[in-house]
Amino acid sequence: MSDDHGSPIPDEGQGHERLWRVLAEVVGAVDPVPPEVLQSGRDSFAWRTIDAELAALTYDSSSEPAAAAVVRGPEAPRQLTFEAPELTVGVEVTVLGAHRRLIGQLVPAQRALVTVRHQQGSAVAVEADELGRFRADDVPAGLCSLRCQLGGLQAGTPVVSDWVLL
Amino acid sequence: MEPMEPEELSSLVAAAVGGQDRAWERLVEHFSGLIWSIAGSYGLGRADAADVVQVTWLRLVEHAGRLRDPSRIGAWLVTTARRECLGLLRAGSREHVADDDETFERNGSWRSPESQVLESERARLVWRSFRQLGSRCQELLRALLFAYPALSYEQVAEALGMPIGSIGPTRARCLDQLRRKLGADVSLAE
Repeated sequence: MSDDHGSPIPDEGQGHERLWRVLAEVVGAVDPVPPEVLQSGRDSFAWRTIDAELAALTYDSSSEPAAAAVVRGPEAPRQLTFEAPELTVGVEVTVLGAHRRLIGQLVPAQRALVTVRHQQGSAVAVEADELGRFRADDVPAGLCSLRCQLGGLQAGTPVVSDWVLL
Repeated sequence: MEPMEPEELSSLVAAAVGGQDRAWERLVEHFSGLIWSIAGSYGLGRADAADVVQVTWLRLVEHAGRLRDPSRIGAWLVTTARRECLGLLRAGSREHVADDDETFERNGSWRSPESQVLESERARLVWRSFRQLGSRCQELLRALLFAYPALSYEQVAEALGMPIGSIGPTRARCLDQLRRKLGADVSLAE
């Protein structure tokens, strides 16, 4: 077994066994699961929310077929829609270098405190006005989720959105 | 790590939904090889691939309690990770292109004592040729290399959305492609 390990790439007359071992060795050594990736997976659990409604991502313009993206133009803002049973959140994301500008709309329109939760720890809170409009500038690129406390600061079940890479 | 029966997977997901850290950790340990296999197969840079894995886990944090069939969590993770990879590739705002040579250099310590026969340049060629394979080939080969044996062949097939009977033939076709790319190099044909 160890005689074959790492030997030259086998020729056509042989099966794939040796090629497979070589591939396992090379890919396993060059691109293994990075420890920090494993750790960030473990750490994700800390973001678990209890007593919150989930607004699931139901539309993402970056998932459109390439042809559609061409029609919209490469610079067009990315459109996201999150849906909870009683609230829809539409967000337009504009790339500004290493930052993102979020312009959002709550439907039905209502006041709310919208917190942009960033996986790296920062959180930006902005207010949605009576028309349900909100805006957050200077959101760092990365993993974000929106937390909407409806009716402003009054206690109620908050709505949290799916995490997205911005 | 050994494959888990569907019932065991379902109860592990239920325990994580119930707030048990250890159950969550076991899920992460069990499926990280699979998700990394997906994230690494689309030519994304390493930072982007790491982001894909993380957003996949963060999605699961919220969706674990809503899975229709918790025992099919592998397929759910793969679908989520694939969608994120394709989204990143289309978004046009990130460092899409993987620097395969940089990745190779970064982990250049691959020469473990038992593998001195495969010297550096040959290994680099294997790596480059592998990276030229299509996404689906890379996904399958990586998943078979790294998700197995935590996942059974059946579970790898299910997670990738492939009929179990096509795993073997597809693997052989992908390895044939790899061999042809390598065969063009005289030093590897000897």
